[in-house]
Amino acid sequence: MMVDKNQAVIDYLIQCPAILNSPLYFNFIKAETDTNQFVTNSNDEYTNIRYVDGSVLKQYTFTIVTYKSTADIPIVKLGGYPNENMSDILDIQSLIDWIKEQEEIRNYPDFGSDCVIDSIRTTSENPRLDGIDDQVIPNLAIYSVSIEIRYIDNSKKIWG
Amino acid sequence: MAVEQFNLTKGQRAERKLLITVAEWKEGSGSVREILGTRTEDSSIEYNPDIETTTDILGINYTDLNKTQPQQDFDPYLVLGGSKLGALLNDIRRRNALSELNQFTMYIITAFVGDSSTGYAAEKHEGCTITYNSMGGDANVNFPISVYFSNDITTGKVDKLADDFVFTPDNA
Repeated sequence: MMVDKNQAVIDYLIQCPAILNSPLYFNFIKAETDTNQFVTNSNDEYTNIRYVDGSVLKQYTFTIVTYKSTADIPIVKLGGYPNENMSDILDIQSLIDWIKEQEEIRNYPDFGSDCVIDSIRTTSENPRLDGIDDQVIPNLAIYSVSIEIRYIDNSKKIWG
Repeated sequence: MAVEQFNLTKGQRAERKLLITVAEWKEGSGSVREILGTRTEDSSIEYNPDIETTTDILGINYTDLNKTQPQQDFDPYLVLGGSKLGALLNDIRRRNALSELNQFTMYIITAFVGDSSTGYAAEKHEGCTITYNSMGGDANVNFPISVYFSNDITTGKVDKLADDFVFTPDNA
């Protein structure tokens, strides 16, 4: 049975508090603080690995883009003066940490009976700052985290 | 008996998955089968022909094929959850019970000959040996193996492409 992998991943991601507690948009940009965008990536056919039994190792990659309002306050090296920008990035880091935890316990999205998930991982150890939108007030920092799911597609196997 | 033609349209290439190697061994009162090649990207049956060539005084070559020693390597052969053969070989490795490595019946199924209604052409080799060659690797445990086919061959057909196939010899 063909499974909508985008829907499967969304159903999976909303288990993550960092995603659940903020509006999530699919392939749509709403540039407001604390919003997340699920952006689909193209997955190159040439990265597929074909095995002699007819199964194929494939990748499904996507990116979570997060907008965070920024503060123009310099870092103060005193206790009790948290910096908003630094605490914001920790929020996004929590998504990366959550993905790592899911990999450890092998909790994966459901890609249907024809597919077996091999691994899920983020492509970086920390969030990427893609830019700062200074045309809005407050300015918005644009962070992104790319996530790669490797799975075995058994749909073309002939051995029952 | 007439040669059975490939079940392919003219010019169509046979996909690799149509050449299937299956191991069978005794376990308790029954037998267990497992297809080989899960997560292996490339594996071929090497026939290792033993050839002797002589040349007469006219420069003509005469080639004798004394024997073949078919062998198939599976590398990587990953330690995978659910692999019964992998678990068996690892148990043999731990006990160094080398004599248990030659207990296998191997089937080579050529699924590009025949079909689901007439059966798929197959060769049954009895008394084959499977060896483990190394164990380790980088991120995942690799346990590459080699299959040494016995050439004690019975040709026939299998009724389906699944572990519970029935093998029927050609002269049955």
